[in-house]
Amino acid sequence: MSRPELSGHASIFYNEREARKYNSSSRMVNVQREITLRAIELLLLSPDKASYILDIGCGSGLSGQVLEEKGHIWVGCDVSRDMLQVAHERIDDSFDGNNKNVENDEGSDEVHDPPLSTGDLLHHDMGTGLPFRPATFDACISISALQWLCYSNSASQNPKRRLLRFFSQLYAILKKSARAVLQFYPETAEQAVLISECATAVGFGGGVVVDYPNSTKAKKHYLVLSCDRTSSKQVQQSMPSVEEQTHVSVSAASRKGIDKPIRKKKGIKTKEWIIKKKETQRKRGKSVRPDTKYTARRRPTKF
Amino acid sequence: MRNNTKEADGKGFPLRITAVEVRVVDNPDATNVGQREIDFVKNMLPVLDWPALVQAASQLGIPTLPPQLTEQLAQDPAFLQALYHILMNVHLVKGMLTCPASGREFPVTDGIVNMMLEEEECERVRV
Ligand SMILES: C[S@@+](CC[C@H](N)C(=O)[O-])C[C@H]1O[C@@H](n2cnc3c(N)ncnc32)[C@H](O)[C@@H]1O
Repeated sequence: MSRPELSGHASIFYNEREARKYNSSSRMVNVQREITLRAIELLLLSPDKASYILDIGCGSGLSGQVLEEKGHIWVGCDVSRDMLQVAHERIDDSFDGNNKNVENDEGSDEVHDPPLSTGDLLHHDMGTGLPFRPATFDACISISALQWLCYSNSASQNPKRRLLRFFSQLYAILKKSARAVLQFYPETAEQAVLISECATAVGFGGGVVVDYPNSTKAKKHYLVLSCDRTSSKQVQQSMPSVEEQTHVSVSAASRKGIDKPIRKKKGIKTKEWIIKKKETQRKRGKSVRPDTKYTARRRPTKF
Repeated sequence: MRNNTKEADGKGFPLRITAVEVRVVDNPDATNVGQREIDFVKNMLPVLDWPALVQAASQLGIPTLPPQLTEQLAQDPAFLQALYHILMNVHLVKGMLTCPASGREFPVTDGIVNMMLEEEECERVRV
């Protein structure tokens, strides 16, 4: 399957047709929903409190809908006007009372049905920064969007610059105790390293949680960030407890812990590793191509 | 409505609102606003820039906010309920947000504000 990120700008890929298709696929809705629930779990929000949450790359509002159900208040930004339009139509419907949930019992504080609010929407590119005042949000989520920042769509777009600008402004607009959970699909291990290095470079503590690491299809990366300015050590310590907690609720998922330092991701197939592996294979009498200057050289990505 | 908290990329705040169409969602019953909502507003108070909010509300046709946020008001449930209504149920559907510093305009259509920037307009970052 070719990656949509390689097809050009996100607003071109997520055009009107794609935006409608996105929401009418119940498989898609369910997958996004499950990821969002997991991201909310990793945010460690107080369930009794309505939090003010920024949803980056909110798309058609599937992730925002889950936030509403949990009784939170969200603001979404996305680079695709067509996706936002779909989100707007749903929100408009709920104002008109067409929301099928509205009939339900209103007094209940548990279900938040009808939701406390529907999100505010911004047409905005996260790579250009985040247009909010400092210390505004209690939390931030981003579902299946962050990897787009690793690609440049014009000569003036530098992925690293855009990532650094994004993370430093994210750091500024979050409250002191806030967390951010960003689920993303790295194309390569290098992308995951680049992303987490840019996040730590601006002062964030935290790391990457990988759910279902052994499944190509179900594998999910969550960048879990904390802006606790006092001590990043404390964050490191608190992370494993997140794992313990979530293991109980999602016991079927085998996953690597958050306590794994980000750096370890590097060098899965380095030149040294390949040469050593070839050596071992040769010793076992297998036929192996000779080592040349091309050994372990990066190949251009195929489409 | 919370557009008032948006900053034109560090260059200016508060954004001036020119309202063409405003939608106020009915608040069927003020008692509908529960403790969770009240707590939310309390939590938001330190985030809000009060004079900017007063200005934004009047630009949206709601001139009733008191010019000063007193300690007493901040504890008053009836006031907090009314404030919740203003924060959550008043939506700018169509109009313009204008940066007070640069005059840069951000059009709002269908309730969506367009804040797309060119790379040249963005904050410089050293790589
Ligand atoms: C796979 S969709 C996920 C949408 C939504 N979060 C959900 O869970 O359904 C990814 C979204 O990221 C948005 N996106 C891509 N690059 C972006 C950028 N630079 N800034 C903001 N949004 C972006 C796309 O427009 C798209 O709507």
